[in-house]
Amino acid sequence: MSTPLIILIVVILVLVLMYNSLVNKKNQVENIFASVDIQLKKRYDLIPNLVASVSKYMEHEKSLLEEVTKLRADANKANISDEKKIELDAKISSALGSLMIAVENYPDLKANENVMHLQRTLNEVEEQISASRRAYNQAVTDYNNAIEMIPTNFMASAMNYKRKQVFEIVEAERKNVDVKKLFNS
Amino acid sequence: MKSKSFLTDFYYKSLYPILEDLEKDRKQLRYRIIVIGIIYTLIFALILIPLYSSIQDEDVLIFGAFGYIALGGIIYKFLIKDYTSEFKEKIISPLIDALDENLSYHKDLHISEHLFSRSKLFSNPDRHSGNDLVKGEIKNTKIRFSDFHAEKRHRNSKGRDSWSTIFKGLFVVAEFNKNFIGQTVVLPDTAQNTFGDLIGHWLQSKNIGRDELVKMDDTEFEKKFVVYSDDQIEARYILSHSIMKKLSTFEKKFGHPLYISFVRNHIHLAIYYDKDMFEPSIFRSLFEYKTAMEYVDTLHLVTGIIEELKLNQRIWSKSE
Repeated sequence: MSTPLIILIVVILVLVLMYNSLVNKKNQVENIFASVDIQLKKRYDLIPNLVASVSKYMEHEKSLLEEVTKLRADANKANISDEKKIELDAKISSALGSLMIAVENYPDLKANENVMHLQRTLNEVEEQISASRRAYNQAVTDYNNAIEMIPTNFMASAMNYKRKQVFEIVEAERKNVDVKKLFNS
Repeated sequence: MKSKSFLTDFYYKSLYPILEDLEKDRKQLRYRIIVIGIIYTLIFALILIPLYSSIQDEDVLIFGAFGYIALGGIIYKFLIKDYTSEFKEKIISPLIDALDENLSYHKDLHISEHLFSRSKLFSNPDRHSGNDLVKGEIKNTKIRFSDFHAEKRHRNSKGRDSWSTIFKGLFVVAEFNKNFIGQTVVLPDTAQNTFGDLIGHWLQSKNIGRDELVKMDDTEFEKKFVVYSDDQIEARYILSHSIMKKLSTFEKKFGHPLYISFVRNHIHLAIYYDKDMFEPSIFRSLFEYKTAMEYVDTLHLVTGIIEELKLNQRIWSKSE
């Protein structure tokens, strides 16, 4: 075999490997986003039940409950983009967080078996959403690195791959628990 | 679960009369071991020296030295057997009872091979042994741990067997507070520490014997450990940020290589340790503070896993 032929084969091989690795990374992002979506849906399914259970007790929190309901309705609309889903997730996370804090002010609610059960389920779903968000962010980081780093960036721009957005961690989650506040309340 | 200071008090106060008796036994035993050791060494020298001078082959000396150590070890084990057993029954067993009444101690039993293999941490052993099984419940969470030694057989071309250690140390199995289906394994990170981040990551992702590599988003944890799992999301569901922090702290506290796995709703921890957990020391007094603290510390550290990792907290929908 002549030298130019060998070089050609090696170049083609490298290109194929780069192409496959990029496709692989893109599919990984899509696969994991599908799981995020399933978890988000699970949470949206819990919301009507939760709102129905607590609304009788929480008269002062009407606006909060309305907001949660509205956000859920938005999230359930057909054909919304991934970016929009990510944005809505952040809003719902913080709204539900405030709702759960508000529940603490109603002793009747805290003792309610049904609400307690819902709270546990919501806790679990939140934890699963957080896990899938982190998995998604890692997959997106790997993907973004690949489309920006040499040499895969040339191939990526030829394939018209664009950077993807990661889930921002909601501010409330990042904050440490204020122990002093807890004891004073 | 009782505090460390309670256990130390218990050791010195409630167990005092027993300690006194055992301390006498220990001194006698130490004397006996020294005398027998001297006689044994003399006999060995008397046989080996004339043998070497007649054959003049260095192999005799090497073979002799191995024989001396091996036979010496067997004799030593035989001599301390009764004392060890008495020590465990009279000191360790009450100490564990005092720690938590829901725990039971079995000095001759160990973690089953099934549990060891189930953990997926190491390859399946051809031979295993162990002792000092502690099992029971702490805060409604099942836990069991013991010393465990797993070995693999190697057969050479002549058909002769030799054994190598797969794992030796403390093996802990406890219920986990979240439900999960897949398996997630956390191993000490040797590749990344040796070869740096880039090559280390690449090597880790090429580990054929393991599931997919999971990159974690906690720098300290990621530096210390490498995670493999058959489910990227579940691995992160189990290894939340707080659990990762706690496991890093744990590794520091133990000061030994730590292997962790999450399989069938249980957490498995293997602490690579070149020492038996509750063995008495013949050449150190039972009243020495360091001796007492060693037993109390080990017990407290292991049983503390439940509280520190909050395995007893059932805020999830997992049924109680």
